[in-house]
Amino acid sequence: MQLKKTDLTGALKILAADASVFVPGEIEGIKRFVLWDGESDVDLGGANTQLPPKDILFPCTEKMYNYKMGDSIEIKEIVEKPRQVIFGIRPCDMRSIDCMDHVFLEKGFVDSYYSRKRENVTLIAMGCTTPERTCFCDSMGLDPNNAPNADVMMNDGGDTLVLEAYTEKGKAVLEALNGLLSEGGQAKKDTACTLKVNMTPELPEKLAGMFDHPIWDEVTRACIGCATCTYVCPTCYCFDIDSDNHGAEGTKFRCWDSCMFSDYTRMAGGHDPRPTKKERVRNRYMHKLSYFHERYGQHLCVGCGRCVEKCPAHMDITMFIDKAAEV
Amino acid sequence: MSSIIEELQSTVKKLLEDGTVGYVIGWGATRFPDRTTPVFITRPEDAHKLVWNHYCVNGTAKYALDDRYPEKKIGIIIRGCDSRAVNRMIQDNQLKRENLYLIGIPCDGKENPVCEGCQHKNPLVYDVLIGTPVEEKINPDRFKEVAEFEKLSQDEKYEYWAKQYDKCIHCYACRNVCPACNCKECYADQYRVGWQGKQNNRNSNQVYGLTRAFHVGDRCIECGECERVCPMGLPIMRQTKKMLKDINDLFGDYECGLNDSRPHVLGEFDLQDRDEFM
Ligand code: SF4
Ligand code: SF4
Ligand code: SF4
Ligand code: SF4
Repeated sequence: MQLKKTDLTGALKILAADASVFVPGEIEGIKRFVLWDGESDVDLGGANTQLPPKDILFPCTEKMYNYKMGDSIEIKEIVEKPRQVIFGIRPCDMRSIDCMDHVFLEKGFVDSYYSRKRENVTLIAMGCTTPERTCFCDSMGLDPNNAPNADVMMNDGGDTLVLEAYTEKGKAVLEALNGLLSEGGQAKKDTACTLKVNMTPELPEKLAGMFDHPIWDEVTRACIGCATCTYVCPTCYCFDIDSDNHGAEGTKFRCWDSCMFSDYTRMAGGHDPRPTKKERVRNRYMHKLSYFHERYGQHLCVGCGRCVEKCPAHMDITMFIDKAAEV
Repeated sequence: MSSIIEELQSTVKKLLEDGTVGYVIGWGATRFPDRTTPVFITRPEDAHKLVWNHYCVNGTAKYALDDRYPEKKIGIIIRGCDSRAVNRMIQDNQLKRENLYLIGIPCDGKENPVCEGCQHKNPLVYDVLIGTPVEEKINPDRFKEVAEFEKLSQDEKYEYWAKQYDKCIHCYACRNVCPACNCKECYADQYRVGWQGKQNNRNSNQVYGLTRAFHVGDRCIECGECERVCPMGLPIMRQTKKMLKDINDLFGDYECGLNDSRPHVLGEFDLQDRDEFM
């Protein structure tokens, strides 16, 4: 099916009738997903957003429950099941949701905060047409033209968007948009990344045996230990739990944390098993390229290139991959 | 340029060969021609990995804090701003001059907006100088942007900073990169309920921004690193510039990091000090 680009706003209006629709937009100079305002034009092409849409399903600060202490303790869970649509999410960010699903929904534990949002979200993905010089998703086993776990996959078809439903939720979307759709459409599906990285199938296991390799002394030194790489990463899912306390009552919330912070592994008593940037950067690279693969059979780096683009020290996970493949 | 890079590489090679330094901090190539990254050269035969071009933007000096008790001297390649960072950290008792070997290199300005207003392109302190000094320029517009901003109403200013800090992601890159942010433990890393935490909201973000600015206060060397590294593009230097402007207005000419001994304006007390603002 195809949708004329001139009908895009009309389509978004239909979707926005009973859900919050998030689209690629810009706030104060930063390209990110924004709540569609009901009228603005949406640009689905160009570079991917600078920030991933991760916080729609996994907010950077999320209230969990309110408490009140008196003769007894009162706890009131905060349950939110917003109906949301992420419109125009790219294949790399779609794969990151796949990674999050593994972490938050599988292996015998379901994270209810995540699952409530996940069940109620509709994911309408958009194939990439103009990869950035830092994009390397196809080296990580992805296809920039396709997101298999999307509800609806869209691809550029010149004057139209070519739509295909992959799930029941997706079929419902196409039905709702039926009046605006027509048969046919030639989708452009030949996008390839220019940056090619030597991510060999053996690397995850090879890295597992390189914990004490001298390579870590070299590749970690430029790091300044900020959390930029982890906070712009679509797949970093660590969080901390804290409270906003006012006398005898307050709110428990969780918020993103970063393994690059010096206090991340600090224990009560002061011992820190990852005392310097060497151990911290090693952990990040290992988690992205080896540990996660061992547990879930896929990479935790989806090749979006955001950390490469934003690292203040110009550290580059792709250079590390190439180097590690060679040694 | 090519002779300067040769001079730089051969100087570093010699310093490593004769054991003057244990390693040298400088810039190296990345995948992209318009981007360099800090490198740490330990072997003489690796000196050729050093680059010197328009894209050597990262500050080098702060990396010396990773190694407070070096076996041999740490070699640092320093531009004007890096030399002020060295002075900053020596003055703050974070580094010892005798532990450093400073390889100065006059800077022609880099791919970084802050360089346009730079008044100290030549290193102010060094052990060896590569190339020849460049001409210095006084920047008449040093506080122009701040002066413009001061004209806004209080509400407008609040609105402006609120929008900016709504973008902040708490990555703390602005702190970690800053040569004046050298506390052993940052207040923002201390854990206590109700203290500066990791929660992201307007209050918490603004409190961090304000506290950072005040803690840097009269010690900012105007290197612009905080603003360069901010992934969300916050105009962070405007805050420290405002304080430096006020200090200049109240106490006369003041620039930080020009040497390693001048007391901080806010760290000394004199009965003659102006106090009408108190
Ligand atoms: S790798 Fe880069 S972005 Fe990540 S913590 Fe280190 S300096 Fe910051
Ligand atoms: S590690 Fe970097 S390139 Fe990989 S998914 Fe995260 S931000 Fe993207
Ligand atoms: S310009 Fe920014 S990074 Fe540089 S000394 Fe001042 S506050 Fe620190
Ligand atoms: S660098 Fe920018 S985003 Fe990061 S903490 Fe500082 S102001 Fe916030």
